[in-house]
Amino acid sequence: MSAAQLRTRHTGLWRRLSSRKWRRTSWFYAFIAPWLLGFVFLWIIPLVLGFLTSMTNYDGLNLANVKFLGLRNYARSLGDPDARFSFGQTLKWTALNLPAWMILSFILALILNRDVRGRGVFRTLYYLPSVIPIVALVWIWRIILDRNVGLLNAVISLFRPGTAIPWLTTHALQGLTVIAVWSGLGWGMIVFLAGLQDIPDELVAAARIDGASTLQVFRYVTLPLMTPVVFFVLINGLIGSFQQYVIPQLLTPEGTLSSVPPRSVYLSMVHVNREVFAFQRFGYGTALLWLLFVVVAALAIVVFRTSRYWVYTEAKEK
Amino acid sequence: MMAVQKKRSFGLRKAIQLAFSYGILTLVAFLISVPVIWLLVTSLKLDVEYNVWPIKFFPKEAQWRNYAEVFAPRHHILRYARNSLVLALGSTILTIITSSMGGFAFSRFQDVTGRDELFSIVVALLIVPAMVTVIPQFIVFSRLRLTNTYWPWALWGLGGSAYYIFMFRQFFLSFPKELEDAAEVDGCNPLRIYWQIFLPNAKPVLATAFIMGFGGVWGDWFTPLIYLTTENTTLAVKIASAYVNPQGYKIVTVTLAACVVYMLPLVIMFFLGQKYILKGMLTSGLKGV
Repeated sequence: MSAAQLRTRHTGLWRRLSSRKWRRTSWFYAFIAPWLLGFVFLWIIPLVLGFLTSMTNYDGLNLANVKFLGLRNYARSLGDPDARFSFGQTLKWTALNLPAWMILSFILALILNRDVRGRGVFRTLYYLPSVIPIVALVWIWRIILDRNVGLLNAVISLFRPGTAIPWLTTHALQGLTVIAVWSGLGWGMIVFLAGLQDIPDELVAAARIDGASTLQVFRYVTLPLMTPVVFFVLINGLIGSFQQYVIPQLLTPEGTLSSVPPRSVYLSMVHVNREVFAFQRFGYGTALLWLLFVVVAALAIVVFRTSRYWVYTEAKEK
Repeated sequence: MMAVQKKRSFGLRKAIQLAFSYGILTLVAFLISVPVIWLLVTSLKLDVEYNVWPIKFFPKEAQWRNYAEVFAPRHHILRYARNSLVLALGSTILTIITSSMGGFAFSRFQDVTGRDELFSIVVALLIVPAMVTVIPQFIVFSRLRLTNTYWPWALWGLGGSAYYIFMFRQFFLSFPKELEDAAEVDGCNPLRIYWQIFLPNAKPVLATAFIMGFGGVWGDWFTPLIYLTTENTTLAVKIASAYVNPQGYKIVTVTLAACVVYMLPLVIMFFLGQKYILKGMLTSGLKGV
């Protein structure tokens, strides 16, 4: 075979290969094209425009009157008493909701993690509240938490007659926590349960043989092995808590955009959405939104950073 | 003799343990279901039976009429239900198609440049909270005059979702490479491989994505509230405000009956697909990034 022949054969092969590669590349991009276009037009462009909006006085209608304000919206938010108040309430609500939800979900998962028949039925039942859509959810709890004719006050009245705790107004923070925890239990439980089922049986059995009590097994085997799952749930719960908006807004008697939730559940996102959708202050509202996002991101980063002190990883054992 | 006794006491202990397990499981199940039971019971009361103190635990007579009233023509519930159905079905089907295409591409085209970088965007989008996009997207859609139409739902559907792309990718990764090689030798192009081999074999993920997507749109209250008007809005928005009688008084018990009707499709779908969902959420949604 001459060298020229070899070359033509070689380039032919190369061309065939590269055309195959080219074909595969175009197929790949054809397949992800819808998502990629969506990413550009539903994420990138709105986010850039949203960021630009936060530096203007845009009111949602008039483009002719839009003025560039620089960072003035951000400066204004620092002096906004409602922004400060709602942020404080958001912190309180997170401090109430997050531990309650995580602990109860974990307990549910522990309860379900027994090797008994019919466990699947119970798992399905426990998950059921998470299926209920939010509007129905709020109605369910309205009739339970109602101050005058609610089931909860009625049950408490059996022990302490005449109880009329205003769960939906003055004590709405507690009321909101009850609602949100009940509705979120299913998800937390499923995630924790998956973590528990990943723990090798041999490990527990070995600890047992070494004479560990149930409590000791939990403390020294289960809990350390569950820390990655706890971390995952914590991050998700943190982000979710800061985004809470719909339940407080639905707790108002009218349940519309312009109605004001009870003062104690006037959370950050409530304030943001109120500025935007009730007062059409798009510029100021988006500025508040970005500030809140920065806070959430910073908190998430803090949790990530501290995770190496308490999240168990296999590699550390070496 | 001793040995027999020992064995029997061991069996007894086990029985007690088992009874204890079931006792706790049942008690917790009851506590968790109390709100739902209370909803069902109260939806069968007269409004005056609901509005009394001390409260009445059960209605004197079950008011099935409440459920008939939910469907009374003047409330237009069927129109709102149809709107919800159109939006939920349409956008969910679109999302599933585009997301499964994305998942297929990310799981199968290892040799393509840019695949890993693009996939890291998908993963990054999983953690970005939804709150950052709602208002910016609304600003864009309102400038494009797409508010008060169903176009935003169609576009969200077409854009797919990072979460489902991830789910499909995880599932498709488990398919053997020989499967598509054989198909390719037989002259199948990737579109046919995706449509005739991968998609029909992805039923668990399809069911999970469908139920989650449908429930998401059906249950969504805020988006239709800001985008739509009373003319074309969804059931969620309708039910958020109480039912009123012709005199304008709020009738809570009828509203509760409406809630039962409203949540029923999701509960039924969950029961039908719960095996897939609970498993799908775990195996493909969370593990093995």
